[in-house]
Amino acid sequence: MANSNLPRRIIKETQRLLSEPAPGISASPSEDNMRYFNVMILGPTQSPYEGGVFKLELFLPEEYPMAAPKVRFLTKIYHPNIDKLGRICLDILKDKWSPALQIRTVLLSIQALLSAPNPDDPLSENIAKHWKSNEAEAVETAKEWTRLYASGA
Amino acid sequence: MDSEDDMHDANDVDSYEEYYFSGDAMDSDMEDDDAVFEYLDNASDGSDDVVSRQQKNYTILKEDDISQRQEDDITTICSVLSISRDSACMLLRRYNWNVTNVHEYWFANEDEVRKAVGLMDNTNIKPPKSGELHCGICFESYPLDNISSAACGHPFCNTCWTAYISTSINDGPGCLTLRCPIPSCGAAVGVDMVNMLTSEEDKKKYRRYLLRSYIEDSKKTKWCPAPGCDCAIEFEMGGGSYDVTCYCSYSFCWNCTEEAHRPVDCETVSKWIMKNSAESENMNWILANSKPCPKCKRPIEKNQGCMHMTCNPPCKYEFCWLCLGQWSDHGERTGGFYACNRYESAKQEGAYDESERRREMAKNSLERYTHYYERWATNQSSRQKALADLQQMQTVHLAKLSAKQCQPETNLKFILEAWLQIVECRRVLKWTYAYGYYLPEQEQAKRQFFEYLQGEAEAGLERLHQCAEKELHTYLELSASDDFNNFRTKLAGLTTVTRNYFENLVNALENGLSDVDAHGAASSKTSTSKNAAGTSKSKGGKGKGPTKGAGSTRTDDLTGWSCDQCTYMNSKNATSCQMCHTARS
Ligand SMILES: [Zn+2]
Ligand SMILES: [Zn+2]
Ligand SMILES: [Zn+2]
Ligand SMILES: [Zn+2]
Ligand SMILES: [Zn+2]
Ligand SMILES: [Zn+2]
Ligand SMILES: [Zn+2]
Repeated sequence: MANSNLPRRIIKETQRLLSEPAPGISASPSEDNMRYFNVMILGPTQSPYEGGVFKLELFLPEEYPMAAPKVRFLTKIYHPNIDKLGRICLDILKDKWSPALQIRTVLLSIQALLSAPNPDDPLSENIAKHWKSNEAEAVETAKEWTRLYASGA
Repeated sequence: MDSEDDMHDANDVDSYEEYYFSGDAMDSDMEDDDAVFEYLDNASDGSDDVVSRQQKNYTILKEDDISQRQEDDITTICSVLSISRDSACMLLRRYNWNVTNVHEYWFANEDEVRKAVGLMDNTNIKPPKSGELHCGICFESYPLDNISSAACGHPFCNTCWTAYISTSINDGPGCLTLRCPIPSCGAAVGVDMVNMLTSEEDKKKYRRYLLRSYIEDSKKTKWCPAPGCDCAIEFEMGGGSYDVTCYCSYSFCWNCTEEAHRPVDCETVSKWIMKNSAESENMNWILANSKPCPKCKRPIEKNQGCMHMTCNPPCKYEFCWLCLGQWSDHGERTGGFYACNRYESAKQEGAYDESERRREMAKNSLERYTHYYERWATNQSSRQKALADLQQMQTVHLAKLSAKQCQPETNLKFILEAWLQIVECRRVLKWTYAYGYYLPEQEQAKRQFFEYLQGEAEAGLERLHQCAEKELHTYLELSASDDFNNFRTKLAGLTTVTRNYFENLVNALENGLSDVDAHGAASSKTSTSKNAAGTSKSKGGKGKGPTKGAGSTRTDDLTGWSCDQCTYMNSKNATSCQMCHTARS
């Protein structure tokens, strides 16, 4: 299949992701499509997402690494930079993408985004407003959602 | 220039003006016309030939000129700052191709500028002399000659570089600020690497972006907006009109890049264009011609005289347009199908006032707008037609005429000049309708005078057009004759007179008809006696000025006197006409 002429880079990245995974992150390619990864990110400690297990999907388009990977949250999450469909507002996934970045750097950046939400560059207008007007309450909601949807059951 | 034509223009104009515009040759009633021509001539005392004497305040740049200037600027910067052409190019681009700014910023703080642009001082980086290097993009190792780096030294294989740069070029003009792939690095990737590593096609695109940035980033230059034209215009700020004419013959306003629009200003143009966008007018139209169905609230349109409305299926509610009441309540009792007593009495009680008045106003304003729009659009299409005729003249008729009349084509230039003038006049005339639309209703004296001038302009242009079209055609059929020389004199004369008239018209309108302003108060009080100029010219077309006898109205009016020449209503103390300076008779 398409996997047969997978670029060396993707094979190497995959091997390294499996052999030395980043702390709190796991990514494994799907069996029938080596460009499609099932990803899990643990909610960082000291964040409203602590204790949660968040599922994501990551896809490497044909142009990768010249084009950024496509990543999306599958687990519902209350976060100003992530919308209802799980799409993520992160500069390196858009105009700041560089082929020198890797799957690993992308996932680490997403993990960092969970620790430091940025309501000034929102993807979800309502959540961002909530965050700015009453951060304590917004954080409570985020914790609540983490319990409800990301308890890893 | 053709000296013969010049001579005609210079010496004969006055007499021709008198001849062609004073009546005997044309409509019987043209005496008043030279009054206006005179007025407008006076308005620009001592500068009759405005067009030819006007200094050009812009330069047209062809693609080669732009490249040349770009190269020259790069040369200047790289010799003054002792840096590579590649770096000079990036610096110039960063500072919008302003050589002075590059100097200033560079000498104020070189380190800062280097950092902002991504120019590394790469003297400390020593590339390895032999062996293999690992590419940070494809993760393969390569011998050194397959590896390249920007000034920072970060190694990537040539294949990855090519893909990296090409992706960026195909993403758009952002490629001009491309940096090393390592996100934290920031070293600039400039034209040298592009030339070294990309395909011919990508190089071409990159050069195109570079060229565009030269025009688009600078405040002094803009592209000609005509489709398919690659020229740019450099404009010298300070004084003078914004109108420019490109090599491609398209005239546009350098300020707003809309088609040339003297005598109206950019703001009016954009208002007018917005106005013309169907949406806003549709709203008015719906407001004037439709009402919401009283049952289902969907707008329903009235397009027949009858007041009996039936809503669209599935609603099909039948109601009365005027009172919106159920139709079954109507009939003979309520006044038949074309009126509604219920409405009339309710209106008298004031029940319908507000919404009806708004609808009525919308309808009136729509009619007013339509009046101006139609004339604006008609002149627009006349202009298109004249352009096509000019084309036809150049490609077909001129040669034929030259053969028929045994005249070298260079002697027939006056015909092309006439047609160019017609095209230009149509453009001006067109915009006077936008001008008229926005001229406040209450400024009656100005409106009347404006409409008079506009009517005269229209009539004068009509004469020129007639001569250049119909009369010329007879000479395409006839064999050589002396008449042709008369024709030349006539057409050249008409061209000059019309050109002057329009140029003065433009100036008068651009000044906001300030001459009228000065005496406006006096005349508006007395304008009960209709200033014949305004009303007779308002419909455009053949200009019919006021008759000599218009003076009779003056006796009706104790507060002022009407000028014999131009019919302007002067204050009673004035000894000469405030409009045309003719002495009171
Ligand atoms: Zn490579
Ligand atoms: Zn670098
Ligand atoms: Zn052009
Ligand atoms: Zn303009
Ligand atoms: Zn209805
Ligand atoms: Zn009725
Ligand atoms: Zn007068």
